[in-house]
Amino acid sequence: MVQSDLDRQIEQLRRCEIITENEVKELCNKAREIFIEESNVQRVDAPVTICGDIHGQFYDLQELFKVGGECPDTNYLFMGDFVDRGFYSVETFLLLLALKVRYPDRISLLRGNHESRQITQVYGFYDECMRKYGSANVWRNCCEVFDYMSLVAIIDDRVLCVHGGLSPVINTVDQIRTIDRKQEVPHEGAMCDLLWSDPEDISGWGLSPRGAGYLFGGDVVRSFLHTNHLSMIARAHQLVMEGYKKMFDETCVTVWSAPNYCYRCGNVAAILEFDENLKQDYKIFDAAPQEARGIPAKKPAPDYFL
Amino acid sequence: MSEGTSSIQTAANGFVAPRRAILDPKDMPRWQKSSAYTEISGFIEQLSSCVENKLISSDYPVSAHIQAVCQLLDTAESWIKLFPPDTTSSQRFGNRSFRRWEEELRAQAPKLLHQMLPEPAQEAVIELVPYLSESFGNATRIDYGSGHELSFVVWLMCLCKLGFLEPADSAAIVLVVFVRYLQLCQQLQRTYNLEPAGSHGVWGLDDYQFLPFYFGSAQLIGTQTTPAMGLDPGLIAEKASEYLYLQGIRFIMEMKKGPFFEHSRQLYDISGVPRWQKVNQGLGKMYQVEVLGKFPVVQHLVFGSLFSMD
Repeated sequence: MVQSDLDRQIEQLRRCEIITENEVKELCNKAREIFIEESNVQRVDAPVTICGDIHGQFYDLQELFKVGGECPDTNYLFMGDFVDRGFYSVETFLLLLALKVRYPDRISLLRGNHESRQITQVYGFYDECMRKYGSANVWRNCCEVFDYMSLVAIIDDRVLCVHGGLSPVINTVDQIRTIDRKQEVPHEGAMCDLLWSDPEDISGWGLSPRGAGYLFGGDVVRSFLHTNHLSMIARAHQLVMEGYKKMFDETCVTVWSAPNYCYRCGNVAAILEFDENLKQDYKIFDAAPQEARGIPAKKPAPDYFL
Repeated sequence: MSEGTSSIQTAANGFVAPRRAILDPKDMPRWQKSSAYTEISGFIEQLSSCVENKLISSDYPVSAHIQAVCQLLDTAESWIKLFPPDTTSSQRFGNRSFRRWEEELRAQAPKLLHQMLPEPAQEAVIELVPYLSESFGNATRIDYGSGHELSFVVWLMCLCKLGFLEPADSAAIVLVVFVRYLQLCQQLQRTYNLEPAGSHGVWGLDDYQFLPFYFGSAQLIGTQTTPAMGLDPGLIAEKASEYLYLQGIRFIMEMKKGPFFEHSRQLYDISGVPRWQKVNQGLGKMYQVEVLGKFPVVQHLVFGSLFSMD
């Protein structure tokens, strides 16, 4: 791919305009080549700004960049769930992917539980691709990229970042490195747990109401951090009305970056900036105002109504 | 085939505890050829056609049994104030107090049904309880979706098959009972912030319901309004008390912030369809495919002797 083409695509996507099916295919191939080279455990250097769920809220992602700075000026780590629920999953995911291809060392993308064939068929991304491209090709290309995305990142050997949380079958970071991640998110096991689990005020492990992953208590976090010489876990995956939530004596933090989630929750969003000394600074932002959003033309009604 | 089917036929009194039978996507063709499928899709279509061009306040018979069903729903709604939302922990999407409301429903459902039904129909309580209990959302996940709405309609159909509700009740089933059911659901959704279950996000018809739009579009056939007017706040304010479709739109506008075309794209596009007749037909077809035809939705259905896969 010619760099000027890529820059044009980034500009187009930043205006919330989709790129062609062929361009998507090429972009996905390029992104996959980059992700293949990354380990299950991505090494990331501070300073870095970490972000939680986005869920296709493109105009709110623009707000995030306004608050946190543009890529590549700011070094970003996104902890998954780029797609589903919102209106602009296609534009959101492709923009982040294009930035990854253009500035591979300035943006890291981890896989969330929604980066999955099964989940996207139920929560909207599949429907969106069908509506915006008229075929499932773009969805298929994106799903192939999902399979190659890293599972966790570690900032300066101190902070573990993951979409969901810990797994009862994983005690060490080295065990995460041995997972064969290049597949659809399984229904159980280590890889599933990393993407699905939640921290909870319990001791030890509990069953998750989500039907996948586990609940893990503060003692589990403490022992994992101790074993692996880490200081904290940063994760996403759960709506937090205040944008972020610290638990277990600040050893575990949830960061949520989708303001007014599902257009109904009325929550604010947050990003977490780590400076070069790993000092934390939380930045809060609101949903994009109405006037910042586009007005798409009316499309023909779906087939049922013809 | 599930192990449930054989026990259904051998049960002495004819009624058995319903069980799941759609356990794998491979079971879908069997479901779509079953008597259960034919009956429920026919029942829903018939409910739609019987409210064509009827207002909620139109003149139609409201039997004592229709009122008894509403009383049951009144009782269930009265529990909401017993279990106010838990404000101590707000991390999850849905509020945990919903679990206590739902537990009460499960505990009280057999008694309420015994009270409601006349003696000969009481043996059917074992079959009716699961459909009623599944009608208001899932307590584990604290969510609600079209599968729960479907469970309620299956329950209504079972009441019809038992003869508790009759063909003459059809209009009241929609315009009295279903309206009452929706009020309760909205109250639960509002109070406990239930998570939309498998809603396809902005690409689904609505986060929670489907049938108010289907039945409601039938009500609007033959009226002076057009589908484009269905999104007009003035018309909604004036006529929502009479039309389910407008009530559905009003609830979305009350609960959601952001551009309507963005958060409710399907309904926005439907407003461009020229006539309500087309909207109604389209929603009927869409329901078959997007609700009755989707494994993630119908896998939770249970089957007994009244609603049977055989």
